[in-house]
This record gives sequence, structure tokens and C-alpha cells, in this order.
Amino acid sequence: MTIQAAFVGSDHDGTRLARVGGEMPSPLAQYNAAPRAEALDALHLRLDSLERKSGARSLAVAVYDTQTEVSFRRHADRWFHAASTIKVAILLGVYASIHHGWLLPHSRLHVRNRFHSAVDGQPFRVLADRDANSEVHESIGKMMRISELALHMIATSSNLATNLLLDLVGLDTVQRALDDLGVDGIDIRRGVEDERAFEHGINNRVSADGLVQLLRLIAEERAFSPELSREMLGILHAQEFRNGIPARLPRAVRVAHKTGEISTIAHDAGVVYPPNRKPYVIAILTEWSPEAAGRSATIAEVSHAVYELLTGTEVRGNG
Amino acid sequence: MGEAYRFPLRIVDGLRLEKPIRDALLPARVVYDEDGLPRKLPRYFYEIPSWEHAMSTQLSDNFALWEFIQTDVREAAPLRAFPRYVPCAITLLALSLERFREAVDTFVHIAANGGYRSPRHAMSGPATPHSWGTAVNIYRIGDVFLDDRESIERYAAMARQSIPGAWTRPFGTSKGQTDDHLHVDLGYVLSMPRGAPEDHLGFNAERRAS
Repeated sequence: MTIQAAFVGSDHDGTRLARVGGEMPSPLAQYNAAPRAEALDALHLRLDSLERKSGARSLAVAVYDTQTEVSFRRHADRWFHAASTIKVAILLGVYASIHHGWLLPHSRLHVRNRFHSAVDGQPFRVLADRDANSEVHESIGKMMRISELALHMIATSSNLATNLLLDLVGLDTVQRALDDLGVDGIDIRRGVEDERAFEHGINNRVSADGLVQLLRLIAEERAFSPELSREMLGILHAQEFRNGIPARLPRAVRVAHKTGEISTIAHDAGVVYPPNRKPYVIAILTEWSPEAAGRSATIAEVSHAVYELLTGTEVRGNG
Repeated sequence: MGEAYRFPLRIVDGLRLEKPIRDALLPARVVYDEDGLPRKLPRYFYEIPSWEHAMSTQLSDNFALWEFIQTDVREAAPLRAFPRYVPCAITLLALSLERFREAVDTFVHIAANGGYRSPRHAMSGPATPHSWGTAVNIYRIGDVFLDDRESIERYAAMARQSIPGAWTRPFGTSKGQTDDHLHVDLGYVLSMPRGAPEDHLGFNAERRAS
């Protein structure tokens, strides 16, 4: 079965338009055709309306479809506090160290809850009751493998695992890995739970564009090597917080992703694998007032709308 | 440990080990402590052939060798593979800890990187008794995690009382202080058990006629 796509130009905030042809009608055609310009315009309007209705201070979306090479961008270069999405960049830094031979996935690391603030070097700890993962805290004093810590950092968003790994590989290694791979739109400046740094305005930042660039590298197996890219993707597939991008997609759809949430921020970014077509990469970044509700539902609705647009299918109910 | 008991580990002269190992252990090399004082590193080591040997070798009733050699990825690469080496003074440390164990009357947990670590370990910095095999970092005693002033100072006092001459790092967050474990050490003790292959003075002395 041959599906041919010819790209004819670009329009609307960098969105590329595609025309699809084929030698014969295909039942999969609806999954492979690029969305029409009017459909992309309609998505922009739908997101404008959703942003107003949800009460979000800001809603940014970037999408890249590896099937059709269509991109969709809405405020995609706006900077946000990264929250836990920065952990994808730290994962990249860990695998950069593995790639360079400085670490092995089964290397062991001392689990110690003592870190130094990016402001003045004062020690701080990750409070166990503010961390989503207890398993790493239970290993304090002992050792865990790098691969285990990486999994906890992503799948359950362990802040302790994150700071341990960042302490080990260093900020420079992470930023250099991003720079070497040509990712802009991700700015790492410190570990997580560094309250003094937060008070001084020293924060990790991401844009939707930046996260999509990074996740594309991993999804397309261009991050260091196909093998290491697949390992990172496997870790992202283990994500346990599924009330964002995957929440309103069909159950058969696999999503490798990373969420991020603090008082005024809710994000989700990942790679979505619809059946019978190549994946697309999506980053949905939102900012809210501290008391706002409905954050995950908003992200899920954006994800749902993008899925319907790219796959040409209508998803009803909860999938 | 009956009459026929023999300590199961071979003593080796660090100066005769292969170069990558020597470069990590720095046997008999002079290094400087945090006060700028010169300290001579151990020359003689027990050779540990495998993790199984480390697990099965009891140094005292309650402390086995493996508890003192848990180093992480920051240890020098040649020392992360077996055979591994630990200064002979490690036996003195274990016996000292046994007295502390009796005083606290419960389990004493040594932290990773908190027993022997080489002078090339990324955490070693200036000369530390950890590189002499005469220091431990204890992160937990029984069910108590030593991560506050009260627990650290209470057990530090018990350590100094039960181990004559032991030094404990003061509580605090500044350099030279500790706030998430109890550091106990015996100082820069050099141990040369009988059976050490050469004279420790650094030259091959002729045997004197008896």
C-alpha cells in the first residue's frame, strides 16, 4: 500500500500544509492525510475559545506530526516555568553521559537527600511529603541504579531521583546535550524543590517548541543513537500520571510523555502513537491562577482535539 | 572463630599492584588533610576477590566486610571491579564499631560511600580517614535516621564514649560539619598485620639473624 504526500507550502504561524495523493483509495487514508488549512484554522479558534472558557492565563501548544510532517504552533515560543517537564531534559543529560561512556545504566548511585541551592550553595532537602514517589526516599543511605532513578524521575516524577541525577551529571552536561542536539527553547538552571532559587527567580524554563524539538529527537531515534533513544522512550512510556494527554484518547493509543505541575503551571508533553500511523509529538503548556481548577481537563481537551484533527477520527466519551 | 580460624583475605602490598589500581589507591603517598597537614596513605590492603567474599567475611560479630565497601559510580573506575582492596585498618574500625553497636543496642547502618573510599573517589577531596579505612558515615541507627541535630549529637556522644579516642564530625551545614549522618573516625591509622609482604618503611631490610 503506497501513500504519497507532497508538501506544497506553509501558512498560518508556521503550519505546513500538505496534499495527499495515492495510487488507490486506502482505508488508512484518513489516518495519513494532512489536515486541511481550514481544519488547522478551526483548531486555532477552538483553542482560543478553550483558553477563554477554562480561565487559563495562557495556553501554548506545539505539535509535529511525523506522518505528514505537519506542524501546529500556538504561542509555541512563549517561555513557561518548566515544572517537572524539565525532567525530560535531565533524562537527555543522563543519556548523554551514558553515550559518552561516563555512566552505565546499571551504575549505582548513593541516595542522599542533600542538595545545594543554585542561589548561594546553602543545603536543602526534598521533602518526602511533597514528593510523588516514596520508593527513592526509602533508599536513603543505600544505592540505586541510574536506570532505576531515571525511571522514577519520569514515571512517578520523583524529585529526589531528579536532583540525584542532576547532581551527578551536572547542569552543564544537560545544557550541552541540548545545545549539541540543536534544541532551543529549554533553559535549565537548577534542580527541583530549590525554594531559595524559586524565591530569587532562578527557574528552569521551557517553550512548547523546545519540548517538541527534544521529544522529536527521541521519537525519531536521533538522540545519540537509536538504542539510547529507544531506552529513553521506554522510560517515557512508563509514565503513571495519565490525566493529561492520554486521558481522552482511545485506550489503544500509546503515549510516552511527561507531565509537570506546580501552583500556577500545568503541562504535558509527549509522543502519541495512534494505531496504523506514525506518531505525532505534542507539547501543551498552561499557566493558571493558583486557585484555578480544571487544568488536567483542559490539557486533555487540547490533546483530544489534536488527535481528532490529525487522525481524522472522532473520539467519543472517554475512549 | 575457633583455633583453626584463619582470616580469609590475602594481604597485598599496594605498591606492587597494577598501575591503574596504584593510581587510584595511591599507596603510601602523602596527601594533605583539610587543615593542610601531610598524611601518609596506607600501603597494605586486604584483597577482596569477589562480592561473595565481601558478603561472607565477618569482621566482627555484627559487621561484615561488604558494609564497608559500598561505593557508587563516583569511585575511581578501576576500584569498582573485583578484586577490590581495602586498607588493613578496616578490621580495627569494625571492632571499634562493635563497641558502639553494644552501646546503642540496635542495628547500625553504614551509608553508601560511607566506609572505605579511595583518595580518587569524587567525594574524597582533601585527605579523609575514609581513605585509611578508619572512618564511617552512619545514616541510620535502629529505626532512627540521623538527619537532625538531636539524633546526630546524641549518637555522636555515645560513639565518643564507647570508642576511646574516636572523633565525630560536629552537627551543622557548614564545611566540615554534617547534618544528614554521623561521621565517626579513628584518625589516620596505618595497620600492618603480620604477614604483610614487605617492611613498611619503604625499603627491603635484610632479615636479622636470630
